[in-house]
Amino acid sequence: MTILSITEFVGHLHPMLVHFPIGILLMASIFRLVATIGKSPSLQPAVPVMIFWGMLAAIVSCISGLLLSQGADYDQALITRHRWLGIGTAVISIALYITYKRRLNPKLTAWISALLVVLVATTGHLGGSLTHGEDYLSASFGNVVDTGPALPPIPQVQEAHVYNDIVQPLLEARCYNCHGTNKQKGKLRLDQPGLILKGGEDGKIISDSNPDESEMIKRLMLPIDAKKHMPPKERAQLTPEELAFLHWWVTNGAPFDSKVNQLAMTSGIQPVLAALQSGTTAGPVINDDLPAVPVEPAPSEIVNRLKKAGVMIVPVAQNSNYLSANFVTASSTTDSIISLLESLKGQLVWLKLDGARLSDSAFRLIGRDTLLRRLQLSNTTLTDQSIIHLRSLKNLRSLNIVNTRVTYSGIQVLRELKHLRHLYLYQTEISNADWPALLRAFPDVALDSGNYSLPMLPGDTTVIRLP
Amino acid sequence: MTRQELIDQRMAGEAREAQLRLHTRRHFIRESAMGLGALAIGYMIGGCGNNSLPATTAVAFDPAHPLLPKSPPFAGKARSVIYLHMAGAPSQLELFDYKPELMKMDGQDCPPSLMEGKQFAFIRGVPKMLGPQAKFSRHGQSGSWVSENLPHFSTVVDEVSFLKAVTTDQFNHAPAQLLMHTGSPRLGRPSIGSWVTYGLGTDNQNLPGFVVLTSGGSFPDAGKSVWGSGFLPSVYQGVQCRSEGDPVLFINDPDGMSRNVRRASVDAINAANMQEYKEYNDPEILSRISQYEMAFRMQITAPEVMNINDEPSYIHEMYGTKPGEACFANNVLLARKLVEKGVRFVQLFDWGWDAHGDNASNSLNIGMINKYRSIDKPVTALLLDLKQRGLLEETLVVWGGEFGRTPMMENRNGAQNPFKGRDHHTDAFTIWMAGGGIKKGITYGETDEIGYYAIKGKVEAYDIQATILNQLGFNHETFTYPFQGRPFRLTDVAGKVINEIIA
Repeated sequence: MTILSITEFVGHLHPMLVHFPIGILLMASIFRLVATIGKSPSLQPAVPVMIFWGMLAAIVSCISGLLLSQGADYDQALITRHRWLGIGTAVISIALYITYKRRLNPKLTAWISALLVVLVATTGHLGGSLTHGEDYLSASFGNVVDTGPALPPIPQVQEAHVYNDIVQPLLEARCYNCHGTNKQKGKLRLDQPGLILKGGEDGKIISDSNPDESEMIKRLMLPIDAKKHMPPKERAQLTPEELAFLHWWVTNGAPFDSKVNQLAMTSGIQPVLAALQSGTTAGPVINDDLPAVPVEPAPSEIVNRLKKAGVMIVPVAQNSNYLSANFVTASSTTDSIISLLESLKGQLVWLKLDGARLSDSAFRLIGRDTLLRRLQLSNTTLTDQSIIHLRSLKNLRSLNIVNTRVTYSGIQVLRELKHLRHLYLYQTEISNADWPALLRAFPDVALDSGNYSLPMLPGDTTVIRLP
Repeated sequence: MTRQELIDQRMAGEAREAQLRLHTRRHFIRESAMGLGALAIGYMIGGCGNNSLPATTAVAFDPAHPLLPKSPPFAGKARSVIYLHMAGAPSQLELFDYKPELMKMDGQDCPPSLMEGKQFAFIRGVPKMLGPQAKFSRHGQSGSWVSENLPHFSTVVDEVSFLKAVTTDQFNHAPAQLLMHTGSPRLGRPSIGSWVTYGLGTDNQNLPGFVVLTSGGSFPDAGKSVWGSGFLPSVYQGVQCRSEGDPVLFINDPDGMSRNVRRASVDAINAANMQEYKEYNDPEILSRISQYEMAFRMQITAPEVMNINDEPSYIHEMYGTKPGEACFANNVLLARKLVEKGVRFVQLFDWGWDAHGDNASNSLNIGMINKYRSIDKPVTALLLDLKQRGLLEETLVVWGGEFGRTPMMENRNGAQNPFKGRDHHTDAFTIWMAGGGIKKGITYGETDEIGYYAIKGKVEAYDIQATILNQLGFNHETFTYPFQGRPFRLTDVAGKVINEIIA
């Protein structure tokens, strides 16, 4: 903890002191106007008294302001204007006092008084801009500069330059305001690679390849209410994807000249890159069950026909056009109904056909919905012949074929599904002897054989009573 | 005080009184004008921080089809919920929260520091400490602590996330249950199942979206309000079904009434209701019409889906069902069947967990042992059965009570209870969650050495509600319903999603 010297202390009083000259001098001008033009000559004696105190306050504000400007890092152009206008205000208020005391020409007094009002207003505004930011006042009219997406969609994200195409525009949109050419809060500038590496008044902000030790990433990741959180609470924030990208960038040593595909890929960064590519950085990344790229809405007449047939079909989320369909209460699962799904193959990602009576050709039709991520075909007529049609479902994450006639040999076609993570095989025709081979064949898939049973324990049936 | 001062004082008092008497209602209203004007201005300019008003989740309510499935704001991991509530509040100290230090204090007088400023339901004076009435060991790869009272459940702990430091501020059953399920200890708020079916609808239009099953011979203390719809449209209240006899009372047509006659009578009632709707435009009437239609369809589907007898015998053995009884095991099996058929929210209440020890049936060493046994197998079977059917991925299972039990032995009104029991305890208890995108084999939260206070990872009912909604795809802070001039939410003004247990 540093102890403020007396000069620093007086400097820190400036933001409080400035309100006195502003208030008193403005009020003095109003009183003067009312007393001269209006019908309240009784106010007249108050005017010189107020001008005197306003003048004194203006001088004290000037001194404290000069002291404050020594220590802190403000926009230099802005502070120069504020300084000279502030001194000007003090000088003019002295002049006004003298004209009043000497009872000089009232016309002259009027002019000086008007000039003083303009000076007070302008100086005050500049001072406000210094503390609250230049867009502070205009923000209330709705033209805030830094809202809206920080990054445009990046079509070829793998080929993009990590710094030039992603990090730099991101910093420009979210950080340059206070850490750029105009202002260097905390003596930190982020608008040039060298300055990013140099850090701010507390030292380096990027620790070599260690995001969790890097001040920049740490502050970005603090809860929004934390005092040190960046960007400040009232400013536009980074999305989780943008944050994840910066984290990954620092993990890779914060390179300034690499392309995205030259850095180490992790499974976590893939959806982030996909989101940057599609420009859908807003909204929570929830799971792997959905493609990251947005799509057009499905043709509504097809959706309505399915609904009419009792199929429960809804978008997976309010901001998404991907569809989830459940046939639990469908009145019919004939080929003509199933064939409607083909028109939804760009949108349909979750499909439940539990217990549906499906023909062999229906399975072929289902095999065309290549975006499917979750598919439930339990209690259906799926066989070793019809399961072949599912080999085209390259995006499948979870497949449920509980209680079907599928055997060990039939299931082999699913080995082509590289993204498959869950496979439910309860009540299929797979024998216990096949399991060791099956586990080897699907090393990355959680296979569930089901058939769980619980032993009968003596306690399960006996009831304890009072001895 | 001099005589003059006294007179002055009296005079001043009289003057003040006289002035007050002149202050009529008219004055009051006139003087209020400024305040009212200020209020109006505040309202007109939208208050300060107008821009920071939280977005609200849009829920399209169609009174004619109130239960059709709807999309959540974001794609959640869970699509349905089975909430197992042990009404009466089971003892965490005999099931999950292992406290060897408490054993050392067994039989000693409770230190005064634990009693200071505390209020208990029944404990008075100085109670004795009571050590854990069960042996504990670690189970599964996660090494979670479970007592010998749940031998079956201890084999599936790797599927479960334990919340060891749940707290509440209600030490009586009814308010605590209301808080757990409606987000308020007082009556009148919608239950969580109502919120969920309001927001998501349900996949199966031939069955209710929110089903309630009770066992243990009694309703929960909070009564039916605990599954009520509060200020939400009444169509979203829980529908109580039975696992024994007719699943819904009077579901079969009476003798001599054919299906056609039933259809004709439903049509006639609906026509009359439609006329009423045209006159008054009350959307509740449309909901009523849709309810008649659903009831008509349910007459066919419900007996079939809700009949657990057609399940194979090995499933019955696994759950430990008891044919023809309204017991917890039967309800759990029925819950699985309902979720399988697309029911959104199934709420189970099992009564009889109030382990006070004032009689044998609620003592820790007799009655509670029977309770543990009555849920151990069914709950374990439920998790395994959902898992093997591929349903656990998208079904969130929650188990818990409304509060916990004290590390002290209850001394009802200062006298020793005849059996070993514990009083209501609000400062620490255990709830677990599984499936529906919850982490597997996690223990979150910690209590102190004797299980008295939550010291780490403390959560409350609101946090659990926020987490359930999150798993279904809702932000609990924006999922609101306008009522009496302000938006209401399930979690009131609290709640934080427990990210530590989310996969």
